[in-house]
Amino acid sequence: MFELLFKYPPSVFSKGTLVLLGSWPRWVLALAILAAAGGLAWLLWRNRARLATPIQRTRAVAIWLLQSAAIALLLLMLWEPAISVASLKPQQNIVAVVVDDSRSMGIRDEDGTRLEGAERLLDGRLLAGLRSRFQVRIYRLGSGLGRVQDLKQLQPDEPSTHIAEGLRQIASDAATLPVGAVVLLSDGQDNSRGIDLDTLSELRRRHLPVNTIGFGKSRMNDVELESLDIPAKALADARLEAQVGVTQSGFTGRHTMLTLRDGSTILATHEVVLSDSGQQTETVEFNAGKAGVRNVQATLEPLPEETNKLNNQLTRVLAVDGTKRRILYVEGEPRWEYKFMRRAVEDDPVLQVVSILRTTQNKIYRQGISNPHELENGFPGVEELFDFQGLVLGSVEAGYFTPIQREMMKQFVDRRGGGLLFEGGRASLSDGGYEIDPFNQLLPVVIPKHANTFRRDPAEAALTDAGKRSLLTRIDDDRDKSLAHWNILPYLADYQDVGSPKPGAVVLVQMKAGGRTLPLLITENYGRGRTAVFATGGSWRWRMQQPKEDTSQQTYWRQLLRWLVSATPSRVVAATPTPDLEDTGRIEFRADVRDSTYLPSGDAMVSAHVIGPDGSSDTVALRPDPVKQGLYSGNWDASKDGSYLAEVTAQRGNQKLGSDVLTFRREDGAAENFHQEQNRELLRQLASETGGHYYQSRDAAKLLDEISYSEAGITARETKDLWNMPALFLLVLSLRSAEWLLRRRWGVV
Amino acid sequence: MRLRGLLLSAPTALALVFALMAAEVPLPDPYTLPNDASSVGKRTTRKEQAPRAFREYPGWEYNNFPLAADANVPGEWLFARYMYRSIVQRSWRGGIGRLGNWTIDYPRSDRHLSAALRRLTRIQTRSNEEPVAAEDGDDIYNYPWLYAVEVGHWDLTDLQAAKLRDFLDRGGFFMCDDFHGTREWSTFIHSMKKVFPDRPIVDIPNDDPIFHTVYDLDNRYQVAGYQYVESHVTYEFGGIEPRWRAIYDDKGRIMVAICHNMDLGDSWENADDPVYPERFSALGFRIGVNYVIYAMTH
Repeated sequence: MFELLFKYPPSVFSKGTLVLLGSWPRWVLALAILAAAGGLAWLLWRNRARLATPIQRTRAVAIWLLQSAAIALLLLMLWEPAISVASLKPQQNIVAVVVDDSRSMGIRDEDGTRLEGAERLLDGRLLAGLRSRFQVRIYRLGSGLGRVQDLKQLQPDEPSTHIAEGLRQIASDAATLPVGAVVLLSDGQDNSRGIDLDTLSELRRRHLPVNTIGFGKSRMNDVELESLDIPAKALADARLEAQVGVTQSGFTGRHTMLTLRDGSTILATHEVVLSDSGQQTETVEFNAGKAGVRNVQATLEPLPEETNKLNNQLTRVLAVDGTKRRILYVEGEPRWEYKFMRRAVEDDPVLQVVSILRTTQNKIYRQGISNPHELENGFPGVEELFDFQGLVLGSVEAGYFTPIQREMMKQFVDRRGGGLLFEGGRASLSDGGYEIDPFNQLLPVVIPKHANTFRRDPAEAALTDAGKRSLLTRIDDDRDKSLAHWNILPYLADYQDVGSPKPGAVVLVQMKAGGRTLPLLITENYGRGRTAVFATGGSWRWRMQQPKEDTSQQTYWRQLLRWLVSATPSRVVAATPTPDLEDTGRIEFRADVRDSTYLPSGDAMVSAHVIGPDGSSDTVALRPDPVKQGLYSGNWDASKDGSYLAEVTAQRGNQKLGSDVLTFRREDGAAENFHQEQNRELLRQLASETGGHYYQSRDAAKLLDEISYSEAGITARETKDLWNMPALFLLVLSLRSAEWLLRRRWGVV
Repeated sequence: MRLRGLLLSAPTALALVFALMAAEVPLPDPYTLPNDASSVGKRTTRKEQAPRAFREYPGWEYNNFPLAADANVPGEWLFARYMYRSIVQRSWRGGIGRLGNWTIDYPRSDRHLSAALRRLTRIQTRSNEEPVAAEDGDDIYNYPWLYAVEVGHWDLTDLQAAKLRDFLDRGGFFMCDDFHGTREWSTFIHSMKKVFPDRPIVDIPNDDPIFHTVYDLDNRYQVAGYQYVESHVTYEFGGIEPRWRAIYDDKGRIMVAICHNMDLGDSWENADDPVYPERFSALGFRIGVNYVIYAMTH
């Protein structure tokens, strides 16, 4: 229809430029149009007075506009409008026909497989039509690009699709070959995170249009496990959350089961009700288990009618750390809280509470020490303090610490990244003079200015909304049971008014005491570390007043102390931006290296010792960042499919600064099983960005008419007349008809 | 002058009100004690868990013993005295019956130990003691340190034994004292076996932390009761050798500290009596301090 009216296909208009072939200058055309319009206006004005019933002014203007437009159009046609467009010279250009033969092209969601659909299209008119005008080169596209002589060589067996890589190669060939256009037959399922800007600019620079033909349905009856987010590292026996993204089409309201496994061990199960939005995130809790590397696999139980059952599974690597986290607990007076807190965590495999208790005015009692000399002089020096991951201050007045020790505590949190917990007590917080620097900076609350904030009266703890969502306050594996348990916990033996939370602080637990509601457990991040206040010394009643089998008090303290130290970094922190490698082995190791006082160390020798899935090992040297001191990085290629473990070690001379463990995983072919609907958006965008067109397979025949108009390869510029376009004549006729109809209606014929 | 008098009289009036509230109540009838142990260890309501109001009972030796001025000030630690049932015995007044052995030395020794702990350690102690009965709901669990005197005369009811065991299983610490010789030991064991039928009673070795929490008590001697003032004999009923014994939990912590053939209660009670030898009170307080600190740290 378009070509019937406009003579040429749309691509001629989108790629060409409008010209006037008439020999008279353009300004004459403009002058003629103005003169004609002026003359018509004068005639209308003169005749208006002679009419028996005078015409309204607006109606006169409308008639004048229609007449002027018709005259202007006729004058324009006299100036011979035409379009100038570049087109490929016949038989001198190459058209690259790129056929995606990855596994997703083997899906039978049309008449046969997607690849069969592409072959049918090519075998029909398309390939013959192209060959009649161009040299045609056929390529197969999977993880790489390869030339094929015959369509029979195409098999849907490539484990992944890297469209950008293939197009870059063709653009590179275009430097030496007259490649005039690219025809890409694909479902648009790309496994290399889209088309990068470099590839697009290279194609644009060479004016190489990529015409895309899409295969596959844009919606399939399928449930897909789209994402699985778990922490890369965790403490042994930690309670963790997995965020699982699920998408579905055609199964709204159906139930399926989500299972987390580590090998043959089931970590958690969770029933999923598929929502009508088509996209949902499920939170599943599981226990990290013992120290070691876990391959946490999430599996959605396939529904019988699913088109694709291979996208119901994802695996992530989790490094579980079993090394002891040491917490220094400084207590100013013997208290039941001290005893019961120590007892609560003594069996925790990853916590070691080392305590200094002031029993008398001049004596301290140490517990949990690693050797008889540890802490024998009381509060430690900076290096000894920084060997701890957490610090707890009990009922001990601020004045007990020297200004240097107080500053050390600030650096412990801010620079070293340790956790600091303040407990309530008769010598704590406001009653212990904590309004001074740096405690007032470190505290997550603005403490009252007055004393006597500590009361030996009962207080009832209750979770806030944030506390109900937090894993820190979970005192039972089952969330609902945990919430119910908080409602029956015994009263706290005492409480302290700790003022109001600072902006950024989170109140997880509050308490009703003395007719008021006060914050009880408040947390905040500070610098590289974190701080918290637990505004009581009376949670020991949670142990003594509950049945001996009840473990809520122990669980609470374990969770709180684990939270305190779980994010405390070691001297070497290893990371990678891509822990999940899909169809590629390229990985970057990064390391943040600190010395014994946790200042950035720029003169260390840093290396990563990598152990592969087959037990093979390799060592990679990491180079220092020229700009940011203490940062090191290095690249490596993981050649095999599977899980890897890298130990990043930093040394300064003969002294070992520290080490950290990093896990990552390479998975080949799995990505191809996901997002299997036709990615129309990507194909459309790719065509639009490069000056090509997107076609659905059923209207791909138009390609033959449009592909010639390209500025790549060997081209010739053509000028095509427009003055004789049927559309123009129709327009003139329409204008005149409209005028006649209006005149009839208004009675001014 | 009038204002000053008013200000001075205010604390006195408060103390009077408290004294009236804490007036002596009669001893519970040992023959009608509730003895249903079936609900021991079960979850209870917050109301049942609440501490009972302070009350005073008539003591074996003392009646209307004066309260300290700060008697109403709460503390982190207080002297919790276990109100057990006694065996049937002959009274010195004639007649046979179950007497109030648990009140021996009460409340004078209790208050002296509280004062000593306050002076010698950083523990915030309450001045007055708290008599604790197994029959008072879950009150016992509010006091993780519990003391019983003259346990050579105790005859625990099923409820008292079950409650004491549950108290210890939850993390409480029990100290008993002032019983002598083999006969009283047998009586003690009879009830203790109702508490822990299967846990052995062992001598505490010298290197146990309980003898080193504050004072190093490697050299201990027999702490005699007040009878020494007249008899000049340190032992009673043939209990010549003082034994510091204990029942340990599964993690090697002492939960029952048994002071046999000694009278620490008297050493605290009579610490201010000039005729009672100072050396007994000196060691008695040191043992008391170490045991309390141990109970609050282990």
